[in-house]
Amino acid sequence: MGRHEYLIDGNSIETTVEKKGEMYSVVVGEETFDIRPISSGLFAVMVDGRKKTIGAATSKGTTYVDIDSMLIELREPSEDGFGGGGGDSDAVKDKIFAPMPGKIVKLLVEVGDTVEVKQQTVIVEAMKMENPVLARAKGTVKAVNFAEGDQVDTDTPIIELELEE
Amino acid sequence: MSDKLFKKILVANRSEIAVRVINACRVLGISSVAVYSEADRGSKHSQAADEAVFVGPPPPRESYLDIDKIINAAQETGCDAIHPGYGFLAENPELPRACAKAGIVFIGPSPEAMLLMGNKIESRIKMVDAGVPLIPGMTASAVDPAVFREAAEKAGYPVMIKAAAGGGGKGMRVVYEPDGLEDALAAAQREALNAFNDDTVYLEKYIANARHIEFQVLADGHGNCIHIFERECSIQRRHQKIVEETPSVALDADLRTRMGETAVAVAKAADYLSAGTVEFLVDENGGFYFLEMNTRIQVEHPITEMVTGTDLVVEQIRIAAGRQLSLKQSELSQRGHAIECRIYAEDGENNFLPSTGKIHHYSEPTGPGVRVDSGVMSGTEITIDYDPIMAKLIVHAPDRDSAITKMIDALHDYKVLGVKTSKNFMVEVLKHPAFRDGATYTNFIETHMSERTTNVEAYHSLAAAVASVASLTERQIASVGGGGETLRSTPWQTLGSWEIGDSING
Repeated sequence: MGRHEYLIDGNSIETTVEKKGEMYSVVVGEETFDIRPISSGLFAVMVDGRKKTIGAATSKGTTYVDIDSMLIELREPSEDGFGGGGGDSDAVKDKIFAPMPGKIVKLLVEVGDTVEVKQQTVIVEAMKMENPVLARAKGTVKAVNFAEGDQVDTDTPIIELELEE
Repeated sequence: MSDKLFKKILVANRSEIAVRVINACRVLGISSVAVYSEADRGSKHSQAADEAVFVGPPPPRESYLDIDKIINAAQETGCDAIHPGYGFLAENPELPRACAKAGIVFIGPSPEAMLLMGNKIESRIKMVDAGVPLIPGMTASAVDPAVFREAAEKAGYPVMIKAAAGGGGKGMRVVYEPDGLEDALAAAQREALNAFNDDTVYLEKYIANARHIEFQVLADGHGNCIHIFERECSIQRRHQKIVEETPSVALDADLRTRMGETAVAVAKAADYLSAGTVEFLVDENGGFYFLEMNTRIQVEHPITEMVTGTDLVVEQIRIAAGRQLSLKQSELSQRGHAIECRIYAEDGENNFLPSTGKIHHYSEPTGPGVRVDSGVMSGTEITIDYDPIMAKLIVHAPDRDSAITKMIDALHDYKVLGVKTSKNFMVEVLKHPAFRDGATYTNFIETHMSERTTNVEAYHSLAAAVASVASLTERQIASVGGGGETLRSTPWQTLGSWEIGDSING
């Protein structure tokens, strides 16, 4: 059923999934987990002889997992290495979103600036880490919708670009 | 109930407490009206009521705190009573006054009782007159060290010097011996001056290993006043309660009776009506001191309901309708043990910073002795506009140990994905040997929780494994359709955006 890669706190973890009847067998490094989907968002796993019910939900490239009340956020590294929010679709290149809800610690561009592909535009602090957010396309900054210190979600663009054709 | 208490009640609140009050209305066969702001359009509480009225933009001042809008909403929908919940307008005497003008019954105490208890100095003076014990100490500030020395001798060491303008531990000094008094006094004054630009300090007895224990009281308009036992709320972070339980391990039958009687005396001295809570500090020797009275239904009221089989919101409504208390002191008893954990949208791993975002998956635990009072569901957006409480988990079990075990399971089975919570923090509190031993003092978190015990990293591989299965199954399930989203689905959970999938039971 394929291989998957996730980033947790910046560390990469690879998995290999195989479907076996109702179960999914997942190999992670030297460990193998047999996972049974219970219902939307809920999964059962046997760990040390006890069943754990684990919650998992994905939105915009981030998967939120709850194992025994521990919350773990995993990010899917996108092919271009940008990660993150809003732009699940390549069509949204003229808007720059936070990769996860957080606080803007530094704005690196202002209206009128020209940005290059992969240029850092803003730094969003979330999960105790500073996450640089890169431009996906070359363009001119049309709008900056937040100020340093603002809280941002992943649905409202922080920066909007006028793309260069 | 043949004879209705009220025709229709407007609930002037939001989220979990609004849902709680609406449920009480339903129990009594009374129609309910919710109010909602722009940020709460489609929210759980607005859908729970029979009707819902839009009251304005997200900022509370322009919606939930706007008394004119609340009264108008009640009049437009033909309500004959308003329940304020807790927070917002619950302790604002202007709301009962406006209600009286509009000919609407306010479900709560009189504005006079609210005012008295809202003024901490006035209420203390009134309580001294009523023979209620206060923390011994100075009743006014002073400059002369001799006055402090005399007050300290009278209160007995250790004593605490506190800034009058105080807060955040600044300008506070604990003094264990008479020798240290003058230095500490000077230091506290300097610190207070730097922090608050005001060097006024006072002195009171220092209560080491204090517990926060409060008593639920109910008073009707016919002179009946009872207490419904205690709740211990010592587990606090930044003066906010996060874990509450009842009974308290610190009370024996005699102390419970004396504190309960004192709580009733406080309520009577305030000429109190409706449900209220009298808060005490309890020291290691069973000494107890009045702190304040909260003139509202408390966040943690469900644990009282669990061990006594009462419905406090129903009682509030009955009292407001002029009925006599349906409960008698002699008929009340505590059965088993109940614990509540508050689920806030906050980062329990990072100094409890508020967390915002959208809830992508939501499911609640169920089962005997498990109650969830919640105001969110799948799809709910947690914003910075309001208090971040999302839900309260409440468990009831025959004894404290099994209640703790049940609560840990309930926390594990309560899933809210997309925002951070303090679930894991509370699990560690509940598992801590000091908590198990009942050594629950108000400094518990500072004393015991600076070192965290969970090794989250050990679960990264499992998290990645589940995430990869989720990435394969969620789309599949979405395309198949049908079924409920949770372990045992309730109507609430099927309102969300992830309502599709199979139930664990089949």
